[in-house]
Amino acid sequence: MKLGVFELTDCGGCALNFLFLYERLFDVLEFYEIEEFHMTTSLEGRHFDVGLVTGTVSSHRDLEVLREARNRSDYLIALGTCATHGCLQASVELPLKEKLKAVYGDEGNPMRALDPKPIVEYVTVDLAIPGCPYDKNELFQALIDIAKGIEPVRPDYPVCLECKLNEYECVLVKKGLPCLGPITLGGCNAACPRSGLGCIGCRGPLPGEVNPAGEFEVLKGLGYDEEYIMRKFKTFARWEP
Amino acid sequence: MIIETREFTRVEGNGKAEIVIEGNEVKDVRVKIVEGPRFFELLTLGRDFWDVPDLEARICAICYLSHSVASVLAIERALGVEVPEETRLLRELGLIGELIESHALHLYLLVAPDLFGYPDAIRLATKHGELVKEGIALKAFGNRIRDLIGGREIHGINVKPGGFGRWPGREELEAIEREAKALLTVAKRAVRLFSGIGEYGGRAELFVATDGYLTGDSLVSNVERNFHYFERIEERPLVYSFAKQSLYNGKPFLVGSLARLLLKAESLTPTAKRLFEENRGRLEAGWVSYNNLAQAIELVYALERAGEIAKTLLDKGFEPENVPVEAGDGEGIGYVEAPRGVLVHHYRIAGGKIEYSNIITPTAFNHAMMEGALLWEARNLYGNAPEDELLRRLEETVRAFDPCISCSVHFVRG
Ligand code: SF4
Ligand code: SF4
Repeated sequence: MKLGVFELTDCGGCALNFLFLYERLFDVLEFYEIEEFHMTTSLEGRHFDVGLVTGTVSSHRDLEVLREARNRSDYLIALGTCATHGCLQASVELPLKEKLKAVYGDEGNPMRALDPKPIVEYVTVDLAIPGCPYDKNELFQALIDIAKGIEPVRPDYPVCLECKLNEYECVLVKKGLPCLGPITLGGCNAACPRSGLGCIGCRGPLPGEVNPAGEFEVLKGLGYDEEYIMRKFKTFARWEP
Repeated sequence: MIIETREFTRVEGNGKAEIVIEGNEVKDVRVKIVEGPRFFELLTLGRDFWDVPDLEARICAICYLSHSVASVLAIERALGVEVPEETRLLRELGLIGELIESHALHLYLLVAPDLFGYPDAIRLATKHGELVKEGIALKAFGNRIRDLIGGREIHGINVKPGGFGRWPGREELEAIEREAKALLTVAKRAVRLFSGIGEYGGRAELFVATDGYLTGDSLVSNVERNFHYFERIEERPLVYSFAKQSLYNGKPFLVGSLARLLLKAESLTPTAKRLFEENRGRLEAGWVSYNNLAQAIELVYALERAGEIAKTLLDKGFEPENVPVEAGDGEGIGYVEAPRGVLVHHYRIAGGKIEYSNIITPTAFNHAMMEGALLWEARNLYGNAPEDELLRRLEETVRAFDPCISCSVHFVRG
């Protein structure tokens, strides 16, 4: 099977994380041939059985790359929170013109920037794997499943549950830290509470039966002000899934 | 006439170059950073200082820990926090891990294919499997350190103002000491391999680094000691790039491994110092391509230093205790050597909230130098070599800088 990896505007982490599979990368290569992946190869491909797209659409160049990737891939995966929810660069809520002016100092837009948005706003995807970065085991499993013709499973539980399974001390209740674990989609194996710190919500909101209002009240009860809480909620996902 | 390269491959992020030809002569080269803007400074404005290092880490995945540490240092300076020696050493260990991870990625997976004439490391592995495996082993070790100190391989949030979320334990440090020793031979082989690299990309004349090996209180260069970035370095926006360009006293300059070795060789560990001395003549000539060799020597340094730090901490013993940090007012700069060179985080904090923030990354510091190096190569090759060779060489020259394009695209107007 042919694999293509495409990077739009992002930190490079979601592309890099794929290489961090180390020896298991060679297991993936048993099934796939990397046809295009500009961070690691100078080759360019034409058609892909599976395409991975990371990053947000932040310029016309990104949009072109995304459309090409969609057209040329049978199965397209939005990989990482940039691609699935917009992540940090999409969380600054100002008109694009003002943002550009604050950074670059003039009112022009010679490089044709767009307001950063997740790729799911522009094209339909076959699978979305969030995470900043995503958990590499999840991608590994998904790629192997697809190669075998099985539809990958998607986690549907909060980070909170992973804390309980690992028997980590609850940082929200025990330390009063602002932890978004209860309303954030699990799959990272509670990486941040493992360090004794609150989840900052990098995998985006848990879809379905979540209770952000309840979390809001809990945090308010701990003494955090409303603006602070709202900003925390909207850091990784400005747009609802 | 303008010749445009395709988007650079085997580099981090999205960029390309334009070669301007007039009357059969190369007039100019422009490096166009096409990666979109990321608004990181705007993102930090008004935020609680405590949350900021975790967000800034997301600027770059290859060097996230350098960003967290620079951010934490700036915050601690602004709020007048002093941390004990063991905290400083553990942070340095984290930065060392990042150096190993980043240099191994660059040298083995991105540059080595050029040395052997392959389009990538995967195809290279079919003939030179051992080499690629060695690179992966080094990279994995660097990442284990990042996981331990930083909390995750990428974008961990463990490095905090005043200390850590979770402190490493004895056994973990013992493992680091052991593995660092075991991998040293591999790194020494890398130095031999990359000392064979050719001379290209022109010669750099000005070098800038932080005053300590991986962190500092100010900057140094080959013409002066101890200055602050805003005293000498001017940033200007460009119409053709999302990254700004920096000049030092009006001239392009180089940051990164080669600059560090040339400016701070006296701080190297024994084997690294010996290897530096063996190659000193060539390194001092300043060829941009020798940045690759400098990185290989730094791998040796990093492995030796990782062992030293682990040993010091184990011998001395330490209490995992954080210094309390109170929200307050102040201004501070964090200077860190990211794997690719000087990284600056500068904040003003009022009532615990970020009021002003400025970040300058290594690739932004190197941007003007990169254009100079490409211009040199283009002038050298245009008319003397086929166009595809010219384009290939330009790509190799860009790669020698090990640019991190994602890092470079989010400056706020100073
Ligand atoms: S989701 Fe996070 S790790 Fe992935 S590319 Fe975006 S910023 Fe980087
Ligand atoms: S705990 Fe939260 S912030 Fe940390 S990795 Fe998991 S989802 Fe991301």
